[in-house]
Amino acid sequence: MGSSATTGNADKVMSAAEAVARFVRAGAILGMGGQNVGRCPMALSHEIIRQRIGDLTVVGCNLSISMDQLVGAGLVRRCVGGSGNLERFGTTFCWRRGIEEGTLAVEDMSHLAMVTRFLAGEMGVPFMPTRSLLGSDLLGPSGGSGPAKAVVIDNPWNPGEPVVLVPALQPDVSIVHVQRADRTGNLVVDGFATHEPEMIRASRHVIASCEELVPEEAIRRHPEHTTIPFLYVSAVVVQPFGAYPTSTYRYYDYDAGQVTAYQEAARAGPQAVARYLQENVWGVATFDAHLERVAGGARRETLRQAMQAIT
Amino acid sequence: MVPWYSRQELMVIEAARHLRDDDVVFVGTGLPLLATTLAQRTHAPGVVCVIESGVIAPQVRPTPLSVSDPKVMYRAARLGSLREVLGCLLQRGLVDVGFLGGAQIDRFGNINSTLIGAPGAVRRRLPGSGGANDMASHCRRLLIITRHERRRFPERCDYVTSPGFLDGPGGRRRAGLSPEFGVTVVTDLAVLENDPETCVLRIAQLMPGITVEAVRAETGFSLDAVSGVREVAPPATGDLRVLREDLDPDRVYLKEEEPVARSQA
Repeated sequence: MGSSATTGNADKVMSAAEAVARFVRAGAILGMGGQNVGRCPMALSHEIIRQRIGDLTVVGCNLSISMDQLVGAGLVRRCVGGSGNLERFGTTFCWRRGIEEGTLAVEDMSHLAMVTRFLAGEMGVPFMPTRSLLGSDLLGPSGGSGPAKAVVIDNPWNPGEPVVLVPALQPDVSIVHVQRADRTGNLVVDGFATHEPEMIRASRHVIASCEELVPEEAIRRHPEHTTIPFLYVSAVVVQPFGAYPTSTYRYYDYDAGQVTAYQEAARAGPQAVARYLQENVWGVATFDAHLERVAGGARRETLRQAMQAIT
Repeated sequence: MVPWYSRQELMVIEAARHLRDDDVVFVGTGLPLLATTLAQRTHAPGVVCVIESGVIAPQVRPTPLSVSDPKVMYRAARLGSLREVLGCLLQRGLVDVGFLGGAQIDRFGNINSTLIGAPGAVRRRLPGSGGANDMASHCRRLLIITRHERRRFPERCDYVTSPGFLDGPGGRRRAGLSPEFGVTVVTDLAVLENDPETCVLRIAQLMPGITVEAVRAETGFSLDAVSGVREVAPPATGDLRVLREDLDPDRVYLKEEEPVARSQA
């Protein structure tokens, strides 16, 4: 923080292309929002792929389709997270192939351990205790070279009780998709929040895409509804259906057909992935053009109604 | 009159029987959520579901495909964060049962969902811990539902993602985990439970028509049976109807299988 873009009441609305060009650097630690088939920041991850910003370390809890497409595009050096998984839709196949072939480094944590690392990061302390990981291989080898991923100490206030310390994690930039934002970067998340509140507050920069841009007055009339105040946010990208084909709670359901289409390509191998990315990312100028191609107005209306039927 | 049912259906129904009314259950999607919802709709309406994405006490709609599926959020008491459910409920000690789906499980109930092979020589990469390590570390009872195959039940897991009894009696206490812990594994062949003394999994019940020898043939470690091992009770007609018609009407998780021979009950 410290730049006027994050401390003042500057207008932070910009295009995905501009936000990604300004705040995502090659080699960055990239915090990934969303979980499984919910609120994945697809418009923003597509834009990173479109600009081919590489050598990334992707961090998060459940790393899903956004991460897998970045890996498939050859832009990821390392992943740090709790799982690579789309549950019923299968694993994250590019991620799996990269690990099995030795081209992708991975640091395994549990989801709580990752949240605990972001919690330390957002509180400005160097590490944080947890009682997860104890006794498991997730603790990592002890006494190896380089910094340990976790350290077991003796509880100073209760000697004889082992406690795990995990290091703070502060992403260089995080990408998230939220329901509503105002021009200054106040964010409103409806429904399940995953690891995002901790990760956002731990990040040096945050790019948030949103379904709806609301007037600042609407935020300030109900400040108790603000999930993340503007101080943490560097850029706001207005992108309806910006999580497609994953869902956005109270706005639209996930599109199982399109998730499956990507999963089939990812499972088939690098050529099919390249073709998918060419058709859906590199071959289109914007995320809206991608949406028009794969999910026209009628399809989007169906997904809206599917969400309304269960909320 | 016992209706036709598949072994997989009975596996889900039997798993549901291991949930008690008013249990707080931390549950993943798939068969665990199906069994938990079945328990809520039958013998245990007070079961409280907690779901990793931050969902607390929902009335789950059929049939969710993911922990972030809006169908798991219907009429919840709260949609919160991962920190709230994994930290402030699970690690805080307010969850009774952790309920997980298939993975590799060893004789001490340790679970591998990370990799087959060895770190640095990965033959098959699996999805990873997710919240499973947190569940196994902090719940009081671990309930696992999985197909019974030899490769899933090795003597020792290739990688311990989630702690069972670790290296045996006293293992959890030495590691700093609560020793108040038990493991139940419901499979399509048997119900396994840990011996309270040795901590080793053993056969507690058999699925109808399955012998101890048949279970041993599909298990990679030496497996004892409790004395007077019982057969799993066949499903009540009402349970089958709720499972088929209300919870998984499109057979998303319940695959068509050869029916179990009609029980002599």
